[in-house]
Amino acid sequence: MTSIPADVGSRDGSRGAEGTTPAAPPARRRRRTLSSSQWAAVGFAAPLLVYLVLFYAYPLWRNIDLSVHDYTIRAFVQGDAEFVGLQNYVEVFGSSTFPTALWNTFVFTFGSIAFQFTIGLALAVFFRSSFRLSNTLRAMFLVPWLLPLIVSASTWAWMLNSENGIVNSVITAFGGEQINWLTSPDTALISVTIANIWLGIPFNLVILYSGLQNIPGEVYEAASLDGAGAWRQFWSITFPLLRPVSAITILLGLIYTLKVVDVIWVMTTGGPGDASTTLAIWSYREAFGTGQPDFSPAAAVGNLLIVIALVFGFLHLRLQNRQEATS
Amino acid sequence: MQHTRRKHTTLAASAALAVAGVSVLGACSSDDGSGSSDGASGDAAGGTYTWWDPYPQHDGSSDWEARVQACGEDAGVTIERTAYDTTALTNQALLSAQEGTSPDVILIDNPAVSTLADTGMLTTVEEFGLDTSAIDQNLLDAGVVDGSAYGIPIGANTLSLYYNADVLSDAGVDPASITDWDSLTAALEQVTGAGHKGITFAGIGTEEGSFQFLPWFWGAGADLTDLSSPEAVEALELWTTWLDEGYAPNTVINNSQNTVWEEFLTGDFAFAENGTWQVNSAAEAEFETGIVQLPGKDGGVAPAPTGGEFIVAPVQEDTARYDVTNQIVECMTTPEGFVETANTFAYYIPPTSEGQEALLTESAGDPDLTPWVEAVQNAKGRTSDGLGTDYPLISEALWTAVQNALSGAATPAEALETAQSEAESATS
Amino acid sequence: MTERKVWWKTALGVVFTALMLFPVYWMVNVSFTQTRDLRADPPHWFPWDPTFEGYEAVFAQQLPALGTSLLVGLGSVVLTVVIAAPAGYALALLHLRGGRTLNFLLLVAQMIPAVVMAMGFYAVYNNLGLLNTIPGLIVADSTIAVPFGVLLFTAFMSGIPREMLQAARVDGAGAWRTFRSIVIPMSRNSILTVSLFAFLWAWSDFIFASTLNRNGDLIPITLSIYNYIGNNTTQWNAIMATAVVASVPAAILLVVAQRYVAAGVTAGAVKD
Repeated sequence: MTSIPADVGSRDGSRGAEGTTPAAPPARRRRRTLSSSQWAAVGFAAPLLVYLVLFYAYPLWRNIDLSVHDYTIRAFVQGDAEFVGLQNYVEVFGSSTFPTALWNTFVFTFGSIAFQFTIGLALAVFFRSSFRLSNTLRAMFLVPWLLPLIVSASTWAWMLNSENGIVNSVITAFGGEQINWLTSPDTALISVTIANIWLGIPFNLVILYSGLQNIPGEVYEAASLDGAGAWRQFWSITFPLLRPVSAITILLGLIYTLKVVDVIWVMTTGGPGDASTTLAIWSYREAFGTGQPDFSPAAAVGNLLIVIALVFGFLHLRLQNRQEATS
Repeated sequence: MQHTRRKHTTLAASAALAVAGVSVLGACSSDDGSGSSDGASGDAAGGTYTWWDPYPQHDGSSDWEARVQACGEDAGVTIERTAYDTTALTNQALLSAQEGTSPDVILIDNPAVSTLADTGMLTTVEEFGLDTSAIDQNLLDAGVVDGSAYGIPIGANTLSLYYNADVLSDAGVDPASITDWDSLTAALEQVTGAGHKGITFAGIGTEEGSFQFLPWFWGAGADLTDLSSPEAVEALELWTTWLDEGYAPNTVINNSQNTVWEEFLTGDFAFAENGTWQVNSAAEAEFETGIVQLPGKDGGVAPAPTGGEFIVAPVQEDTARYDVTNQIVECMTTPEGFVETANTFAYYIPPTSEGQEALLTESAGDPDLTPWVEAVQNAKGRTSDGLGTDYPLISEALWTAVQNALSGAATPAEALETAQSEAESATS
Repeated sequence: MTERKVWWKTALGVVFTALMLFPVYWMVNVSFTQTRDLRADPPHWFPWDPTFEGYEAVFAQQLPALGTSLLVGLGSVVLTVVIAAPAGYALALLHLRGGRTLNFLLLVAQMIPAVVMAMGFYAVYNNLGLLNTIPGLIVADSTIAVPFGVLLFTAFMSGIPREMLQAARVDGAGAWRTFRSIVIPMSRNSILTVSLFAFLWAWSDFIFASTLNRNGDLIPITLSIYNYIGNNTTQWNAIMATAVVASVPAAILLVVAQRYVAAGVTAGAVKD
C-alpha cells in the first residue's frame, strides 16, 4: 500500500488493450481498492457497528412497535396488542396537552441552549488565559456533573421553594416580593430551565475550552499588534474559528436537552398542571407517572422527540456540507 | 518508542485487570441474580422464592427483612427479597410479567392491584383457597375486580389531621372543637391571627395529591364518578380559600406528604394532614402533638382513602410453586401475622377487627393508635365502588384540576369541569 | 503590572466558581441539617444545629455501593474507549466508506430517550441472562458515552499531522501498527476526555441501574440512595450526605484528569 498512485495507474484496465471484457477491469479495480484500506477500516469500525445494531437498533425498533400498536397494559403483558397504525400519533397531535408540551419544549430547549452556550463560551474565554488556580477552578466547574440528578434537582427545588427557599429569602431580604418559582404557572418553566442551564454549563465549558486551545496564539498576537482590542479579537477571530466546534456543541446540547426528564420531574413533575410539561415529560408521565401506564402514546411522543432531533441533525449536516464546500 | 511501548503495556495491563475484575464480579453477581424468578430452581426443599416490596428503606438488616425471611423459613424455603421504590414497582412488575419472569410474591400499593389484575398476571384469592371473610370489607374492596379478590391487604394506613398542641393552646383553640369545615376554618383564622401558620397538606401533581384531597372530596359528599358536582367544587373551593386567605402556604402546590411532615416538624404549623406512618415521628417531636379526625363538611368523620399494600401472587408457569407461595401468604395474613407487621412497621393497622383489637391490647400503654384504628375503619378504598382500573385515570384528572385551581390557572368550577370531561373520555 | 492583572483574574475566577458551586454548598448544608430544620422559614445559611446521622448512615451502609459505582464507571470507560477509539480511527484516518452516514447514525443513536433504551434492554438482557449483573450494567452505561466518544475521537484523530502517518506508511506499517504506535499515543488527550465523559455519565446513571440491576447484590450509589426514600417518608440529610461522600473521590479524579483534558481535543476542527 505504499505506492498507491503507481498501482492504480498500472491496474487501470480501461486503458489496457488486452482487456477483452471492458466491464471486468473496473470491477477488479474496485474490489482491489476495497480489500486494502477499506477492509482495515471496516475491521476497526466493526465493534462499533455490531454495538450500534445490538444496543440502539433494537430499542428504537421496539419503541416504534409500541407506538403503532395499542398497548394496553393487558396487551403489554400478554403480548397481543392490536395494530392501530398511526392512530396513537393522531391522538397525540389532537390531545389538549400537545400544543402546551410543544411550546414548553421549544422554550425549555432554546432557553437552555442559548444560556448554556453563552455562559460556557464566556467562561471558556475567561479561562483561556491561564492564571493562578485556573486549572483547579476549571475542574471544579465539573462538580455538578458528579452529582446524581435526583440530588442536584432536589437541591434546586429546595433553593427555589416558595416559602423556605434560600433564593426567595435573599429576594425578600432585599425588599422584593416572594416569587413562587415552582408553583406558579408563570415561573415553573423558567425555574426548571435555570436548573437545566446550570447542569449544562460544564459540558459546554469543557468542549469550547478545548476548541479554544486549538486556535494558535500567534493569530491573537498578530491581531494585538494590529491594534485589535479584546472584544474585536473575540468577534473576528475566536467566534469564526470556533464555528465548527460551536455547531457540534449546540447540536449535541440540543439532542441532550430534548431528552431531559429527571430535572423537571423531580422539581415540578411537569406541573403545576401542565405548566412545565415538555414532550419528554409528557412521554414519561404517560408511561410511568400515573397508576395506569399508557405505553403506546408514550412511545409515540418519544418517537416525535426523535424526529424533532433528526430535523436538527439534518440541518447540521447541511451546514457542515456547505462549510466544507466553501473551505 | 520505549515510552510508547511502556504506555501501551500499561494500558493493556490495566484494561486486562479491569476486565478480569469485572468478569469475576460478574460471575459472582450473576450467580446470585440468575437463580431467581423463573421457578426452575427451588423444587427441592429449601428452594428460593422471590419477593418484591416497596420498602427500600428497610434494607437487609432491618426487622422487616427478618420478618420476611421468617415466613420463608416457616415454609421451608429461602426468600430473595428485592425492594423497589413504589413508583417503579408497578412498571417493573409489568415488565417482568411480559417476560414471564414474575416474582412469586409482590407487595403492591392497593390502587395498583386492579391494574395488575386486569392484565391477567395475578392469581385470585380463591385459587389459593385463602379465606378472606375476616378481612374488613372496606379494605378488601380495593383489590376486588369483577367480584374476585386478587390479593389480601397486609395492613392499612390512612390520613388524619395532626395538630401542634403548643400552637393551638397559644392561639386559644381547642382541638375538640374541630368537628366540621366551618370550625376548622375558624380555627385556622384564629391561629394565623396569633402569628402562626395554619395548615399544610400535599397538593402535588401525583397520586399523593389525589390521596390527600380525597378526604375533603368525599367529606363534601362528592363521588369519583362525577368530578364536577357541586359538592366536589365546594371541596376544592375549601382548599383554594385556605390558600387565598393565607391559612395554607403556597408550597402545598408542590408538597409531597414527606415535605408536609417536614414543614410540620418546624413547629410553625398548627395542622398537618398526614398519615399513620408518622405516628412515631409525632411522638418524638419537640412539641406536643395530637390528632383529630378529618372532619366531614357538615360534621362526622370524613372517609379517608386507604393506604397500605396488598400481598399478591403473580401467575407462575410452574404451578407447583403455589403451595409454598400459599404458605408464605398465609404467614403474612394470620391475625398474629397482621399484628407483627403492624409492630414491624409501627404504622400498619391490621385489616381485621380481631387483629385491630390485638394491636390495641398489645400497645395498651400507647393509646395513640385508637384514633387510627377508628380512622381505618372509616376509610374507603380508592379503587372500590367498582372503579378498579378507571381509578388511576380519574385520579390523574382530579390532581390536575387541584393543581390548576390552587395555582390560579383556573377557577375550581372550571378546573373540575375540564377534569370531568377528561376523566370521561379517558374511561370510555 | 502583569502580576496584579493575574491576581484580578484569579479573584474573578473564584467568584464565578463560588456562584456555580453554590447549590453544591447548599447540598452540603442540607446534609448536616436536622429533619425538623429542613423546612425552616427563613432557611438556615449554615447548619447551626448540625446532625451527623446522615453521614453515619452513609458510612454504615453506602460504601459497597460506592465501590460498585466506581467499578461500573471504570468498566464503562474501558469498554467505551475500546469500541470508540478504533471506530474513530476508521472514520478519521482510514476513510471508511459511508463514514458520513455512520456519523449521522451516531447522532441518531444519541437521540433515543434513556427510558426507551432501558425498556428495550430489559427484554434483551433477560434473554441473555445479563439482568442484575455488573457486566450488563457496564454495557448499558457505555451506550451513553460511545456515540459521543466516536465523534470526539474522529474529530481529534483527523487532526493528527499527515506527515507522521505518511512516515509510518513509508516504513511499511499497516493500519493496526499505525494505530498502536502512532495514533493511540498521540490521542492521549482525547482518550482522557472520552474517559472523563464516560465515567461521569456512568457514575450518575440511574435509569439503567434502576431497570436492569435492582436485584443485584452490588448496586450503584444512584440506586442505593433510594434506600432513604421510603414509601411515604424521605431522609433528606442522608441522601445529601451520600451525594457528598460519593462526590469526593470522583472530584479528586476530575482535578487530576482535567490537566490532560484541555489541550488539542478538537484539533480536527480547525484547519491550518
